[in-house]
Amino acid sequence: MSPGRSMREQFADTMVAVGQSDPRLTVLISDISHFILQPFARACPGRFYNLGICEGAIVSLAAGMAKTGMFPVIHTIAPFIIERAFEQLKLDFCYQQLCGNLVTVGSAFDYANLGCSHHCYDDFALLKCLPGTRITYPASALEFDLLFRQGYRGPGLTHYRLPAVAHQIAFLPSDIQLGRGIKVVEGDNLTIVATGPQLDNALAARDELGAIGWHPEIIYIHTIAPLDFDLLRASAGRTRRVLVVEEHLERGGLGDEVLRATRDIAGLRFASLAIPNRFSTDYGSYAQHCERWGFSREGIVAKVKAEFGG
Amino acid sequence: MAMNNDLRATIARMVHRAGDGHIPSAYSIVDMVAILYRDYLRVDPRRPQWAERDYFVLSKGHGCLALYVVLAHAGFLRPSDLERFCTAGGILGEHPDCTKVPGVEASTGSLGHGLPFAAGIALGLRIAQRSNRVFVLVGDGECHEGAIWESANLVANLELGNLCLLVDWNGSAAQLLPRDDLPAKWRAFGWRTCVIDGHDEGQIRDALDSVPFAATGTPTAIIARTVKGKGVAMLEGHGTWHHRIPTDAELAAILEALQ
Repeated sequence: MSPGRSMREQFADTMVAVGQSDPRLTVLISDISHFILQPFARACPGRFYNLGICEGAIVSLAAGMAKTGMFPVIHTIAPFIIERAFEQLKLDFCYQQLCGNLVTVGSAFDYANLGCSHHCYDDFALLKCLPGTRITYPASALEFDLLFRQGYRGPGLTHYRLPAVAHQIAFLPSDIQLGRGIKVVEGDNLTIVATGPQLDNALAARDELGAIGWHPEIIYIHTIAPLDFDLLRASAGRTRRVLVVEEHLERGGLGDEVLRATRDIAGLRFASLAIPNRFSTDYGSYAQHCERWGFSREGIVAKVKAEFGG
Repeated sequence: MAMNNDLRATIARMVHRAGDGHIPSAYSIVDMVAILYRDYLRVDPRRPQWAERDYFVLSKGHGCLALYVVLAHAGFLRPSDLERFCTAGGILGEHPDCTKVPGVEASTGSLGHGLPFAAGIALGLRIAQRSNRVFVLVGDGECHEGAIWESANLVANLELGNLCLLVDWNGSAAQLLPRDDLPAKWRAFGWRTCVIDGHDEGQIRDALDSVPFAATGTPTAIIARTVKGKGVAMLEGHGTWHHRIPTDAELAAILEALQ
């Protein structure tokens, strides 16, 4: 792992490192990250392909490569794989039980000014419908590097949703296990489940919440599927109040899965801070989109007050 | 008299017994598929996953009855598998499932998937420096799909000379969109292209024999003029028989015609 690397730089570094040790790793891109991946192209000749703008065919082609024992990585902007090529993911990878990796940029509304064609905040909901698919949201360079190494050989399809902005928490490598959540802070009367860069806002809200009587336990989730039911149930069983914060539509995202995990806990109260079921049509920066939907320290505090009092 | 009438008769009996299936779509390709498995594909029914095998991908999955009867003839399937076509617990449905059927390389059905999937097989084999060959069969109606032309562009630019495409040009596509010069389209995408009669054994063999098969080179598209429902006059053409099930009397007439 290279300290201080952006998510995309870490992706490029990890491809070189894994590709040099595993001759079956191949990288297929749809005309993004071309230059940053040249070290991989040089280190692993014949295993890097910029296939242009034809995402549906690229996904099917990658599945065919997997049929021969390769471990393909498909990399482009999230909506162009997950929404445009959904049928290819479903039929060519999942139905045929083949191994593949999707490494996407353009998480949620990261491509803020490019408009709704380049946003993707329904990916958890879509991919959860594909049996056997693993969904990860590594929001630090270390997480991507470790989760990719743990997951790229399958089984099945694995998605790595790379955000443009990493969170600021330094986890120990031993904390990062595919399919396992992380208890970041202990608490006693509220559980905040955060995923992606929103971990920072969840942690920042603690003091203000403490002043009004809430002592939140912060659970960080980098693997949406399979979800760490045990960790979530243990926390929710003690606090009886759960707020999920995610840069995803409120329908079909992590929140729905947390509800499923905790549905039989007596007296549980649940709230979700997510994107309403609308297009994020306005322009502005990523930070301004976050502000619009309440993804901030203040937004989290306001949501807790509105849903749970204080 | 068409070739492979025994295979055609088996297909008709399977559809009649199951009450489901596409007879004409299978009859238009069964001659090509039979010749491929009989004389060209390096495959071993005792080892369907043999690493050195050639690959055949049936991209127009609704023609799978042709593949099933040929796989049975080649020893991949048992007669009892054919008898259980489209039954609960059977392994054969109206589209092929590679997770169930020995010898089937790709689960197809939604059109436009098999060609790019086969291209991936060809590229994976080339990266691994393996000499296996890849054959893929698409329908002319399937060539309405954008993914076919995305793949045509990719395969030509990747110079996947270890891939051979057969196009079942049975006229289905022109029923709807009459600008249908498939040889010109494939040539325009940079493929080595030839046009044959897809029911003429000599022409099929000549076309297959002429494929260069190099790890890197120009891919070949064999455009095969075929007749939907070939071999039984009442089934031929583009009428109601596309997905029609023969009655007892119609089955008898089909079998009589195939004598």
